[in-house]
Amino acid sequence: MTPETHQGSTSLRQRVTRKVVRAASGGVIDQLTNRIDELEAEVQENRNLNVRVAELVDLLTELMLPLASQDRAAIEAALAKFERSVV
Amino acid sequence: MTAAVPLPRVEAVSIDDRGLSFRATQDDVVDVCFDGRRIWSFWLLRDSEPAAGGRFAAWPSQLTRFLQGTTQLSLVAHVADVTLYDAEVGFGAGDGRVAVVDEDGRPLGLDKSNRISQTFDTRTPEQVVPLLDSIEAVLAALKTAGIEAFPAYGTLLGAVRDGGLIGHDSDADLGYVSKHSHPVDAIRESFELQRRLTELGFATDRYSGMAFKVDIIEADGASRGLDVFGGYIAPGVGGAPPMLYLMGEIGAPFEPSWIYPLGTTTLEGRTLPAPARPEKLLEATYGPGWRVPDPAYQFTTPRSTVRRLDGWFRGQRAQRNVWERRYGTLRTVMPPEEPSALARFVLESEGVPPQLVDLGAGRGADSLWFARQGAGVIALDFVTAASGAVQQLAAAEGLDLTVRWINLVSLRSWLAEGARLAWTPGPRVLMANQLIGATNEIGRAAAWQFARMALRDGGRLYLEFWRGEPRERTVTELLSPVPDETVVAELVARGAVIVHRENLDEGTAPGKPGRPTTRLVAEWPR
Repeated sequence: MTPETHQGSTSLRQRVTRKVVRAASGGVIDQLTNRIDELEAEVQENRNLNVRVAELVDLLTELMLPLASQDRAAIEAALAKFERSVV
Repeated sequence: MTAAVPLPRVEAVSIDDRGLSFRATQDDVVDVCFDGRRIWSFWLLRDSEPAAGGRFAAWPSQLTRFLQGTTQLSLVAHVADVTLYDAEVGFGAGDGRVAVVDEDGRPLGLDKSNRISQTFDTRTPEQVVPLLDSIEAVLAALKTAGIEAFPAYGTLLGAVRDGGLIGHDSDADLGYVSKHSHPVDAIRESFELQRRLTELGFATDRYSGMAFKVDIIEADGASRGLDVFGGYIAPGVGGAPPMLYLMGEIGAPFEPSWIYPLGTTTLEGRTLPAPARPEKLLEATYGPGWRVPDPAYQFTTPRSTVRRLDGWFRGQRAQRNVWERRYGTLRTVMPPEEPSALARFVLESEGVPPQLVDLGAGRGADSLWFARQGAGVIALDFVTAASGAVQQLAAAEGLDLTVRWINLVSLRSWLAEGARLAWTPGPRVLMANQLIGATNEIGRAAAWQFARMALRDGGRLYLEFWRGEPRERTVTELLSPVPDETVVAELVARGAVIVHRENLDEGTAPGKPGRPTTRLVAEWPR
């Protein structure tokens, strides 16, 4: 759909250019590449929080009150209803 | 439109059991027809490889089992609708006509994802009535739940382009755009939506934080799943336009007014809701060329969109699909009567526990073995159908064996089950045989937290897993080894005390070397 999707094969010229630039950089390119990998991983870690926060809020709002009620039947009913919709 | 389409040139075609050889210099999408019926479509260059004298396209593996006998094979340029090749062809040693049909004789074909299925071009108008009824029923249910949904993806494409279902498609998709502008809120809304549909009596199955399947029983008794994909519009930041992100492929600049208020479209004669500007959504979905049919369409979703959708919404089905496939044919088959070595060890160590939780119970052999000895057993797994035969037998024998669904990579699932066990008094044994190698780091962390909750009144966790460096799972090998040091460190970090640690070699088959296996017993000081 966009140019950034076509990341498949790299030409010989591109590969040679990268090698030369890498060698000339004295390790800076490798350091930056590693740093980008780390940053990308950290961005994903943060994005992953969305589902976890949503799950926790959903769990609290749906189950906190029934669980606090101390009423065994009410707790079981609330858990069963909740779990049916979690599959 | 047809007159303007240049005709692809395909020469020197030869067909054998392996695939199609041909010469072509220009890429175009071509239908492969058997006795005049479309079976498969492929792009001449994209989906073939260079070979001596031209190109070679191998038969998709899903199709090879049908290639026995003879057929009139034609290659038809899909867009221009011109036959490029037509000949009687023989496959394998079989005689008779090649029949690409299911066990009931219904015609099958490959859809754009190369899934073998009953594509719409093989169905009569009467046969698609139940699907249309299902679409309307689910749209109505979603509306009852406060969500204005509409046909999306190929279903919207077919409706807008031709007023009907696309012949080479095989399912129907629905979509909606949340009124919320933050992923957390949009996900919570999706949870609430699933809950409402469950209350309305629909069976559902969640794919991700923003998509789930609604199962509906059609008039002929057949079950059909309709996918409901949620999306949301992220407000533009720093002068950038607002972005629509819609599961599972879309990320594009988008105005909310292009969706709501909804307009209408026509699908097989029925009036259905549609985005206010459907062409805008179709362009965001398929690119500017969406008006040209492509039965072998492949999404080329930008990496940035895939990462966003993965990061925000996905991850709760880790390993589940492969285990569902593994157990798919075993639902009514009894597992071996022999208990696992770990189950025997539990019995030797604890006697018959009054309460035993079999976490990752699989087909339920150990659960049944313990229940038959008088233990109250709770068998937990994310494929509960795997223990179908055991469940039936346990019910017939009146055993105290309960099977419940749990997903260790869904907080809502394991925390709810953990809460239930924490509320049920008394010590218990928690056993997890080969569970650790079947899940990931998130699932392991959940397992330890879950164990702590389940053992609040005392009891022990019994574990067995393949020891070693993790390795890539394969279709046949669904378990990965895990370093025992890692497991011990994780348990200790969560307050557990390791009371037994043993390395053994688990026997695989007679005469074959065993696998390095670790057995651990842990408890939490009270």
